[in-house]
Amino acid sequence: MRLNTEFMKETFWLALEGVPITLKITIIALFISIILGFILALVEIHRVRVATPIITAYVSLIRGTPQVLQILIVYSLIPSLLNAIVQKMEINFSVWDIEPIVYAYIVFTINTTALLTETFRSALLSIDKLQMEAALSVGLTPFWANVRIIFPQAFEAALPNICTTTVNLIKGTSLAFMMSVKEVTAIAKTQASYGYNFIESYLDIFVIYLILCLLVQGIFAIIEKQAQAHRKIVRSV
Amino acid sequence: MLELKNIHKAFGKNEVLKGVDLKVNKGDVVAILGPSGSGKTTLLRTITFLEKADQGEIVLKDLNLDVQKATKKDITKLRKKTAFVFQNYGLFLNKTALQNVMEGLTIARKVPRAEAEKRAKEALDKVGLSDRYDYYPSQLSGGQQQRVGIARAIAVNPDVILFDEPTSALDPELVSGILDIIRSLAKEGSTMVVVTHEMAFAQDVATHVVFMDGGVIVEEGSSHEFFSHPKEERTKQFFSRFISTDNYII
Ligand SMILES: Nc1ncnc2c1ncn2[C@@H]1O[C@H](COP(=O)(O)OP(=O)(O)OP(=O)(O)O)[C@@H](O)[C@H]1O
Ligand SMILES: [Mg+2]
Repeated sequence: MRLNTEFMKETFWLALEGVPITLKITIIALFISIILGFILALVEIHRVRVATPIITAYVSLIRGTPQVLQILIVYSLIPSLLNAIVQKMEINFSVWDIEPIVYAYIVFTINTTALLTETFRSALLSIDKLQMEAALSVGLTPFWANVRIIFPQAFEAALPNICTTTVNLIKGTSLAFMMSVKEVTAIAKTQASYGYNFIESYLDIFVIYLILCLLVQGIFAIIEKQAQAHRKIVRSV
Repeated sequence: MLELKNIHKAFGKNEVLKGVDLKVNKGDVVAILGPSGSGKTTLLRTITFLEKADQGEIVLKDLNLDVQKATKKDITKLRKKTAFVFQNYGLFLNKTALQNVMEGLTIARKVPRAEAEKRAKEALDKVGLSDRYDYYPSQLSGGQQQRVGIARAIAVNPDVILFDEPTSALDPELVSGILDIIRSLAKEGSTMVVVTHEMAFAQDVATHVVFMDGGVIVEEGSSHEFFSHPKEERTKQFFSRFISTDNYII
């Protein structure tokens, strides 16, 4: 077997053009999920009567089903559902004009939010009760005690898991081709299908994903180092 | 100045405080003694609502709170007039020594930054940590951490400082340093309530001693009369375990 290196080079540069789409999905899903996941984690912890069991169920549902299935369901269910609503309400709007990438945002946000809710929940619970008691004792209100003392520590505790989730998210976006989003994997597959150069294509994007994930891990390593300033050992005087 | 009236507290069916009354005057150093599980920590915690008592009244200067009716605002107000020193220090792990002390000034009491920093540094200097302002708790020894805990307490000029066994998490060689600081605060006239197992310290520093057992105050009195003539049988028993060992320390 011989690899078509010419094709490989060409496809590599083409597939690279999909990186912005891959990153766009990743960043948007991650951004919304961090905010939403943190709020849901707070609600879950504070045992709100109806909301907490719903959140717990949502998290188990998402964690307990394959992502491929979530994509298939969202991609087939939401457009039909929307269309039915639009028709019923007689709104002049064509559901079929919605960009496929919007569905990618939705699926990956739903998925990542569930994972980060769990991450933040355990991070918040990992903070020693004494931190809150001390904060209240110096006269902080519960609100400020959370904002100044508890949340920063919880975020730091959550960072390694947020990193893992981000890496998994990037890798997961390779499934967006199923929703006809033209990201890295989709481009590679299309190129390969012209002349059946699948191995070359897959090797290309193997490298691309590897680089992306290493970059993300590098970025998080820097953030963690910053956040953990208080763990670094200072020379004793 | 500080007065507790008929404080009751139960955890489930376990009645831990069965109606405790306590009066602390300005400048008093009250030592609370008693066997493990007698409710000393719980009593201290109910004073600032770290544990909400089931029943009773807490009076601090012009603030008069029925624990059942106290609002969040009342509680924060009460906490701003007091300070708490924890057995396990309870320093904010994400903040330096200086930031730990400043937090209660800048955020809780809205003291301007520059003034807060000045007061925080003074407090840290006082406990002998003028060279550790920018150290995080993880970079400090237990004794140093507890010094920061005390600096954090005195920086806010509280009406009363509550100590829960401030030395019992420390290595023996670090205990006396902390006790010396508390002793000097007493000399300056700070009002303090100290839960402790250090008999010699209680005898030496406390103006007033309270002996608790089974969720009630069994006996209380001035330090001198308390140690020289304990009246209750239960108190005598408790001391008999300490007196002999204490003699070695003194
Ligand atoms: N949060 C809690 N939940 C349930 N029970 C508790 C709680 N805190 C304290 N107790 C119980 O209350 C009783 C008194 O505890 P407390 O800590 O006040 O005793 P203590 O006198 O401080 O003892 P020690 O000298 O060992 O510190 C104990 O039986 C303890 O088990
Ligand atoms: Mg105790």
